[in-house]
Amino acid sequence: MNEQEPFCPNESRRSFLKKSTVITAVALTPAAAINAANNHWDEHIAAAIENVSLSVEINGTRHTMDIDPRTSLLDLLRENLHLTGTKKGCDYGQCGACTVHVNGERVLSCLTLAATTDGSKVTTIEGLANGDELHPMQAAFIKHDGFQCGYCTPGQIMSAVACIREGHASSRDQIREYMSGNICRCGAYPNIVDAIEEVQKGGQKV
Amino acid sequence: MNLFQYVRPAEQKTAIAAVAAEPTARFLGGGTNLLDLMKRHIMQPEKLVDVTRLPLKGITQQGNIIRIGALTRNTEIAEDKTILQNLPLLAMAINAGASAQIRNMATTGGNLLQRTRCPYFYDTAMPCNKREPGTGCGALEGFNRMHAIFGFSDKCIAVNPSDMNVALRALDATVVVNGPKGERKIPIADFHRLPGDTPEKDTNLDKNELITAVTIPISPFSKNAYYLKVRDRNSYAFALVSVAAALNMDGNTIKEARLAMGGVAHKPWRLTDAETFLKSKTATEENFQQAAQIAFQGAKAFKHNQYKLKLGPNTIVQALSVASGLKSV
Amino acid sequence: MSTKSNKVIGEPMNRVDGKLKVTGAATYSAEYKLANIAYAVLVSSTITKGTIKNIDTKAAENAPGVIAVISHVNSIKVPGYQEQHGEPGQPKPAGRPLRVFYDNKVYFNGQPIAVVVAGTFERARYAASLVKVQYDKETPQTAFEENMNKAIVPEQAKQNPKAAVADYTRGTPDGYASAPVKIETEYFQPTEFHNPMELQSIIAHWETDDRLTLYDKVQGTQPTQQNFAREWQIPVENIKVISTFVGGAFGNGLRNWPHETAAIIAAKMVNRPVKLMLTREQMFYMVGYRPRTWQKINMGATQDGKLVGITHSVVGQTSSYEQFTEGTLQQTRTLYECPNISTRYRLLPLHVSTPTPMRGPGEATGAWALECAIDEMAHALNIDPIEFRLRNYPEKDPDNGKPWSSNYIRDCYKMGAEAIGWKNRKQQPGMLRDGDWQIGYGMAIGMFGANRQAAKVRGKLYGDGTVLMQCAVTDIGPGTGTAMTQIAADNMSLPVEKVTFQWGNSDFPEMGNQGGSSTVNSVGPAVVAACNSIKQKLLEMAGRNKQEFANAKMEEVMFEEGKLFPKDKSTSIAYEDILKGGGARDIDVIEGARPGSERQQYAMYAFSMHFAEVHVHAVTGQTKVAKVVACADAGRIINKKTAGNQMIGGVSGGIGMALEEEAVIDDRFGRYITKDLADYHVAVHADVPKVEVLFVDKPDLLVDPIGSKGLGEIAIIGVAPAIANAIFNATGKRIRELPITPDKLI
Repeated sequence: MNEQEPFCPNESRRSFLKKSTVITAVALTPAAAINAANNHWDEHIAAAIENVSLSVEINGTRHTMDIDPRTSLLDLLRENLHLTGTKKGCDYGQCGACTVHVNGERVLSCLTLAATTDGSKVTTIEGLANGDELHPMQAAFIKHDGFQCGYCTPGQIMSAVACIREGHASSRDQIREYMSGNICRCGAYPNIVDAIEEVQKGGQKV
Repeated sequence: MNLFQYVRPAEQKTAIAAVAAEPTARFLGGGTNLLDLMKRHIMQPEKLVDVTRLPLKGITQQGNIIRIGALTRNTEIAEDKTILQNLPLLAMAINAGASAQIRNMATTGGNLLQRTRCPYFYDTAMPCNKREPGTGCGALEGFNRMHAIFGFSDKCIAVNPSDMNVALRALDATVVVNGPKGERKIPIADFHRLPGDTPEKDTNLDKNELITAVTIPISPFSKNAYYLKVRDRNSYAFALVSVAAALNMDGNTIKEARLAMGGVAHKPWRLTDAETFLKSKTATEENFQQAAQIAFQGAKAFKHNQYKLKLGPNTIVQALSVASGLKSV
Repeated sequence: MSTKSNKVIGEPMNRVDGKLKVTGAATYSAEYKLANIAYAVLVSSTITKGTIKNIDTKAAENAPGVIAVISHVNSIKVPGYQEQHGEPGQPKPAGRPLRVFYDNKVYFNGQPIAVVVAGTFERARYAASLVKVQYDKETPQTAFEENMNKAIVPEQAKQNPKAAVADYTRGTPDGYASAPVKIETEYFQPTEFHNPMELQSIIAHWETDDRLTLYDKVQGTQPTQQNFAREWQIPVENIKVISTFVGGAFGNGLRNWPHETAAIIAAKMVNRPVKLMLTREQMFYMVGYRPRTWQKINMGATQDGKLVGITHSVVGQTSSYEQFTEGTLQQTRTLYECPNISTRYRLLPLHVSTPTPMRGPGEATGAWALECAIDEMAHALNIDPIEFRLRNYPEKDPDNGKPWSSNYIRDCYKMGAEAIGWKNRKQQPGMLRDGDWQIGYGMAIGMFGANRQAAKVRGKLYGDGTVLMQCAVTDIGPGTGTAMTQIAADNMSLPVEKVTFQWGNSDFPEMGNQGGSSTVNSVGPAVVAACNSIKQKLLEMAGRNKQEFANAKMEEVMFEEGKLFPKDKSTSIAYEDILKGGGARDIDVIEGARPGSERQQYAMYAFSMHFAEVHVHAVTGQTKVAKVVACADAGRIINKKTAGNQMIGGVSGGIGMALEEEAVIDDRFGRYITKDLADYHVAVHADVPKVEVLFVDKPDLLVDPIGSKGLGEIAIIGVAPAIANAIFNATGKRIRELPITPDKLI
């Protein structure tokens, strides 16, 4: 195997900065430090700022960690915790694929800063089933074939469960209106509505 | 997104002081607009002051005034009994906007401050006087299908994208704010600005002021109210045009009308001349057509939004027809 | 041999991967966990045409956590780039693909010009915003209408006068002109984007300096493998491509794009696995689209509704460096009995990126014009549109005189008209109303080739009587895995629970791209071949150990419910016991199937027919599609649930095409204005009504031994004109430019 040197520009400058910043970091105010981190590109200063503490319960498990404040709840789930069930479809809150429940309400995790979920309870698609027993909505989606490629599916299901809990599933027209924040490009829409309608009519606890 | 300091003070005055201390610091509410803009590098605050845990939620009624805490989420407003009974127009307008998830997240204060969706504003590679004063208005000679027909300037022809704001304007709401210099009340008519020579300013709110509440007087407009939004698909899209219509009626006679439009200007557009015309008139199609004509005097369209000169009046007539009971939905 | 079917084919079985999808356990390309993974974010050009004068990456390189910033300035040389092909845009049959980070030339707005690699996504994204580029701008040409007179004859046509895109005449050129009743129409379709829900993603991992593993969102694991073997000049077997779960593609995964090479370059240079996910804007820049197309149709007919002639001209846009063509004109030659047909296809090279097939490529665009024109002619003749089409039904393929392998269009007219309530339709437009809602009915036909390619499948029968099948094919949503499981279960006479089909890995036996509605037609027969091979071996093994089967021929035995029986059923032996008796752990075969000469003898097409009821608001122009009936003559249907879902999905896509989708370029800059899902509208829940799906479900064994014809494309072809025709019936307004938004109807 051919060991290849990793490509790393400005190696010497980086080590020079590492020495000098220990001194400067002490003297900087937070704002100036941010500015420095953004513009003076120093790893140590950045590392000091790039830290917000977070304690959040996800699918019943408490996670306590320090995170980059920029981290969205979506990226926390997918990249930090490797819970990849929640999907990134646009990252700008325009497609609904990233829908999760925070404190029982359906929200877009891509437009939720993870830091704001401190002390909250988050439920993702991975937390919906009861062990091996699928949630009635999951079973209904399978029965009615409420998906094709499956990428929008976790978001559709999380949204659908909330839609029923909110009381917004009393007719097909209402379901369609209140689910319009979840885009399905494969176009399985009518089957999704069938699934939601069946669960709503079935009266099981969702 | 640029790195920022994230703080979450427990008290309002600490939050205000935290924002006032930094030139680029911003309040963080639901984040549905701000975080989007930060991801596109359009806004780059270096400090975010999370105000969502402040005790500014809830809807109360005191005498004739309904008070909505600034942190009340859009969904909560749209489903609140007091609102549905007294200000159904507001609920209709909110439900016409965004998606259920976004309405769960969006705060009243944040919705008031929602920034334009103009694609030139949203693209840092395009000229935009709002985003970068002096670079020009990309939409003026560009693709302006969604843009203004009232109140624009040659610096900016963007529109305010909010549905809630249109209803608030029709209902004569007041925005209560608190800042380093204390509390003040801004009538909704004066809250959003016209672009003029300073399109970079969306509102007359000072950057260090925190919206704490919106108050709305209860008035006899609840029975005959309708919010009509025309859009390019049946849900989850911004308005081509929208009309908030609320009528105080005596039988078939209009005692007083409230009319405001969205999708046509940099701020919600109140149709005061049409309201004046409709006073004491009967609810007929002809009167509604005439009111629409009056409302649209002075409207001027651009290359791609000429259709608003027809769709606008049509929508006014239709909204009045439904609000008055002349037509069913 | 006789295999007792367990009647699984056609059954609306639940998807085999359903549980994985509804629990979030299905792993898509960006979701594989690798040690030491780095994140890459692309920098896209903000000019349309010109050169990069200077690229200042200092700020980006020094940003926290940045490992590398790569551009044409410092990129390693991609071995495959060095072929002597000359400059892009120089005369060559189809041009050449964009070579990322090769030089400083910019060919389209949004072209990837640098990539930033960092330890986290946020760090990479932020650093990418710090890259400062100075350009030498040239004047771009992206304006379609203004430049249409510069349209050129496609290179393919120059080289082959019989190519599909060459000028074509049947009968008298422009023979329509002599007809007693004539119409002359122009139709416009804007650029449309696939916009699958999954952002295009890749994880590139150099396991050694010449072994590459890709977790890549593509529609063909082996075509991707072969492409990158060529590009990096390493043996094909050194590349592994995994694309098991694909979050929709609709055509944009049929070829490889610059972002994939960028990730592979980055992975090599930083010596770590690199994950790269495009932003939604970048999905508009660099992974293809349905090209903006202008069409002119002149049509002539007799008073009693017989077509005399059709002249159909097409101008489709393409990039300046590649010529993308599609089958826009095929239907005009094939769908109707018409003695005089003239077609012309021209390309308009603009400073844009290259288009790529998008669901129903060519035909969806062509049907938009043709099926509207047919409707306009029916109206001019005052003949019912279905009746008019029936009067011109071709008994044989009019393009070449070949007999149809199967054509049940006439069944579709009957079924669909009944289901939509066509009898409620008024021939005069604008006659039906419900308050402010104007009601109308419209219909249209779609067709697409019943394609088939060679494929191979591995089949392995285990000692416990279960079967594993493997094929390199992907499943971008149609339910390939499920259909193949059903075919295998049926052909092995086993319950589906005992069959596993694995897909999406280039290590598995051969299959090309999943596209052109050819998957069931291609992989299905290979599955059958593998099953037959296993059964042959079982019989031989049984014959060596059980007297009743000694020297038995396949025609003399039965395979039923996991057991082998002689004809008289005097005894039986389970597959597991055959293996045990033979001392074998398993039977492991690789078998293939390929189309034969029957393809030359027959005209092989799948057909769809869509019927729409629309309500148009007389005051606001807001349009609701109230009901759609989708009929398909797609041969035998393997799984009615998943196939039905395909048809529904095509209607959703067709509603988007008809009423909402439009990508707009600001031609002053050559840059897209619409580049996210808020500005580019695809259909949402509230736009799509209940869709009634009707299948003819008659097998066409000439296309392939399964009897399927494919339906992924026909699901969308014809939906847009059906809706436009319904809008005309509702309002009397004939809108010839997509999308039909409210402003066009007031």
